[in-house]
Amino acid sequence: MDVKTKDIWVFVETNEDGSAKNAGIELLGPGRKLADKQGGKLTAVVIGCKPEAAIADAGEHGADKIIAVDGEEYKTYSTDAYTKALAYLVEKYGPTSMLIGATAYGRDLGPRLSSRLQTGLTADCTDLDIDEESGCIIWTRPAFGGNLMASIMCPEARPQMGTVRPGVFKKEAAAENRAEIMREDFHVAAEEIRTEIREVIREAAGELVDLEGAGIIVAGGRGAGSSEGFACIRELAEVLGATVGASRAAVDNGWISHSHQVGQTGKTVGPKLYIACGISGAIQHLAGMSSADIIVAINKDGDAPIFGVADYGIAGNMFEVVPALIAEIRKSKA
Amino acid sequence: MNILVCVKQVPDTAEIKIDPVTNTLIRDGVPSIVNPFDGYALEAAARIRDENLKTQIVVMSMGPEQAGNALRECLAIAADKAYLISDRCFGGSDTLATSYILMNAIKKIEESEGKFDAVFCGKQAIDGDTAQVGPEIAEQLGYPQVTYALTAKEEEGGLEILCEAEDENHVVGVKTPCLVTFTKPDFEPRFPTVKRKMAAKKAEIAKLTAEDFKDIDLSRIGLKGSPTKVKKTFVPEQKKGGIRIEEESGEAAGRKLCEMLSAAHII
Amino acid sequence: MGEYNVITPEIIAELEKAAPGRVVTGGDINPDYARDEMPAYGVHMPEASIDVLSTEEIAGIVKICYENNIPVTTRGAGTGLVGGCTPICGGVVLCTMRMNKILGYDLENMAVTVQPGVLLQQLAEDAMEHGCMYPPDPGEKLATLGGNVATNAGGMRAVKYGCTRDYVRALTVVLPTGEITRFGATVSKTSSGYSMTNLICGSEGTLGIITEITLRLIPAPKAAVSLMVPFENLHACTAMVPKMFMSGFKPQALEFFEKEILVSSEKFLGKQTFPRQVEGTEAGAYLLITFDGDSEEELDVIVEKAAEVFLENEALDVLIADTPPKMKDIWAARSSFLEGIEEQTKMLDECDVVVPVNRIADYVDYIAGIKSNYDFQVQYFGHAGDGNLHIYTCSNDMDPEEFGKQADEFMSLLYSKAMELGGQISGEHGIGMGKVKYLEEAMGEVAIRLMKGIKDVFDPKNILNPGKVCDRL
Repeated sequence: MDVKTKDIWVFVETNEDGSAKNAGIELLGPGRKLADKQGGKLTAVVIGCKPEAAIADAGEHGADKIIAVDGEEYKTYSTDAYTKALAYLVEKYGPTSMLIGATAYGRDLGPRLSSRLQTGLTADCTDLDIDEESGCIIWTRPAFGGNLMASIMCPEARPQMGTVRPGVFKKEAAAENRAEIMREDFHVAAEEIRTEIREVIREAAGELVDLEGAGIIVAGGRGAGSSEGFACIRELAEVLGATVGASRAAVDNGWISHSHQVGQTGKTVGPKLYIACGISGAIQHLAGMSSADIIVAINKDGDAPIFGVADYGIAGNMFEVVPALIAEIRKSKA
Repeated sequence: MNILVCVKQVPDTAEIKIDPVTNTLIRDGVPSIVNPFDGYALEAAARIRDENLKTQIVVMSMGPEQAGNALRECLAIAADKAYLISDRCFGGSDTLATSYILMNAIKKIEESEGKFDAVFCGKQAIDGDTAQVGPEIAEQLGYPQVTYALTAKEEEGGLEILCEAEDENHVVGVKTPCLVTFTKPDFEPRFPTVKRKMAAKKAEIAKLTAEDFKDIDLSRIGLKGSPTKVKKTFVPEQKKGGIRIEEESGEAAGRKLCEMLSAAHII
Repeated sequence: MGEYNVITPEIIAELEKAAPGRVVTGGDINPDYARDEMPAYGVHMPEASIDVLSTEEIAGIVKICYENNIPVTTRGAGTGLVGGCTPICGGVVLCTMRMNKILGYDLENMAVTVQPGVLLQQLAEDAMEHGCMYPPDPGEKLATLGGNVATNAGGMRAVKYGCTRDYVRALTVVLPTGEITRFGATVSKTSSGYSMTNLICGSEGTLGIITEITLRLIPAPKAAVSLMVPFENLHACTAMVPKMFMSGFKPQALEFFEKEILVSSEKFLGKQTFPRQVEGTEAGAYLLITFDGDSEEELDVIVEKAAEVFLENEALDVLIADTPPKMKDIWAARSSFLEGIEEQTKMLDECDVVVPVNRIADYVDYIAGIKSNYDFQVQYFGHAGDGNLHIYTCSNDMDPEEFGKQADEFMSLLYSKAMELGGQISGEHGIGMGKVKYLEEAMGEVAIRLMKGIKDVFDPKNILNPGKVCDRL
């Protein structure tokens, strides 16, 4: 592709109702910094069905320009329609760089598009910067299961592309919308979309406890004191989108069912975040959770073994700490 | 059906440790395994064959000579034939260059195995974690792709695939030929039978090198042919003991915790 | 009971001098110290608990208790299944979990010396790093070695390598009087009077307190492979076992189980690894076998031959786990049987009988014949290679009293049948307090009289773990 502008593109993924997904909007922050360093404009590319809400969202979050493509065929994501539309836009406008949120769809679309454009793509980045010397983006990403970080550049091929892990950058506060909107009338015929979604299956939100697959676990132990004591643990889990876990003591006391038990006689888990509330950390419990990436311990007894594996420890009453934590998370989400 | 499964031999990343003195990865003694997601792709193919015995499963792997062990493991589990794609000039290829080589390899293998109805891959390799090679091959072959598949069923002229989407599952229909990448379903790949395992030990593994690909453009492969370059690698900062949050009250400690967790991008 | 003294503040003060800062009393005592993994046999809080740190300290504490006639119950991780460490007469509980150091290797003599609170898993991993294997491999990897010695724990590898007893070279033991003594030596032969190490091993804390252990190690096998062998029914599966030995195979582990228990365990783990059917035939039971050796080539030959023997003897198929992750997966399913049962069961009783390997098939046929007479579910699995069966009675809806009554009757029948077939009432879990009455019935008057006599010589005041093994309260 020939570069025609110094602009940085951010692909804004849309929902079926035309609103924007966070994964795209939050990239406008780092996109802004890259565009300023590179001396170009920040362009949001919005594809969807009646995506007016997404266009407004992108404008309020710092895009200088918005390229919008509207069509029924974009209502639900398909590799074929989205790749075709984006490839058309890239060829037409010639941006230097493109950021895509590394959502499930973003990671389906990114490589398909980069392969069509014959350019380099860096997957699932967690940091972005610009190389002073060459002016290229430095894409930093984890590899080897997070044991190693790699900084990658794409010196010649353009656009330089990367997918960026959702949540790494925070959505900036909304500001005045000054974006110039460019609407592109580009359509993909139904027969060119070679996959067909026949059925959408939403898991019944029931008693299924998936501790092994959980990204975040909030677990309670003897310190919870009763099944009522688990209420604040459940609430914290809810605000974090986490799964509720428990120590053997809590299960043996009948405060919560065995399917929640973590540890030697329960499940072995490896979430990104494990919050242990009122758990002293018997060896049997530690055996089941110590491989969590980040462990938070809240326990009355400051000498409890759980603090030996904790990254963040609070020696205190869980019934004081947890509600404050919940309130604070709610506040930051609002 | 005629199915090609792409597999990669990878170090078992769960076994990788960091040398605390040099702060580098310790790779010695780390066992090599078949990339687990590729194992799920192979199992998906095997399940298609369970239903339709006229299914052929071919596996291919790009890598050094020792990747032959991964292929033998696949032969023991379910594959009928195996191809090793190996050449020094393939070294240093990024995902785009790799997918270009694999596309050429697929065309070459089809000369002897017949046209493949489906190419199955793992969604990503656990060493690189890019999830890019599958879709990049699909694009170069001009095939439709379905990613994050859990299971696949053969149907008239195509496949019906159950796959993961954001927070729901989709049943997707796709016409063959196509490329599908697989993620972890709620079952594990089958175990080899002793008979298959012994046969796999003795099986011949066909080897293909750059010379076998008549039309390959050498400027698109290897380190030089790769658009992306690794500038540096480094070991991320290790946890250095826990942080004790000491505040006047439990409430204050809770607020402080929230602040620290969000500052560290944990929540 | 009643012959013991209660712990007075004066005694607490003395204990406090022996173990400064670690004497815990009343409501501050960890409730875990009142029980093991089988609370069904009773839960009883001690009057004081001490997390002990050294042999000398234990000697000091025990001396105080001996003088004041106070019961002393020693515990490790509390993973027992027969109420062995439950302080049913109150008194003092000593927990050895903090004595968790591997004191040193003597590789020239292939031995290691450990404190009693070292966990089995800890030693197994550490020994591997020294190129050695500690062969005993009970299912509970987080049990302490002190507990393993006290119960002569067996486990999966007993079929090839024997039980804990076979690896105990020497023991430091604190006697009920507070005397410290060393039994045994780092030698591989001894014909030097009564075997004191063998008396202590399996004595469940009733003769003395084990405070240091010297264990034998072996060079670690260089290769291992596991086979999964489905059969149509349990009879065919267990009948296979003696044929394996007759054919000259020396498996490191040889386990059998029925499909139901596998299904609940895999459900618990959320991961199915075993095939449920083979070419249209439903599998009803499985053998799980591990072979170890010096090279993969050596194992290939064994595996190929073994597969032939299995297939000639009604095996539906022979599957192989030849990589560490695969072996881990299948053994994880095996190791979670108990957890799988516990998850689905409110009331549980178990027994741990052992019969000659050529009588396993008869024994399981007997269980199958009588189990329908009871209202509970019966689940079982076992170490086929040692004829050691774990049989569980499980119920969620029975009246607890009725459950107890029926389980008691069922267990009595199981024990008599085991004895009739030439077996024993416990393979590896021990007697604790749960099986005292059955031991009496099974052993007969003479053996029990001798056991009581031995107990009396070691512990004339009966302060060590009263109410256990041969001491019926």
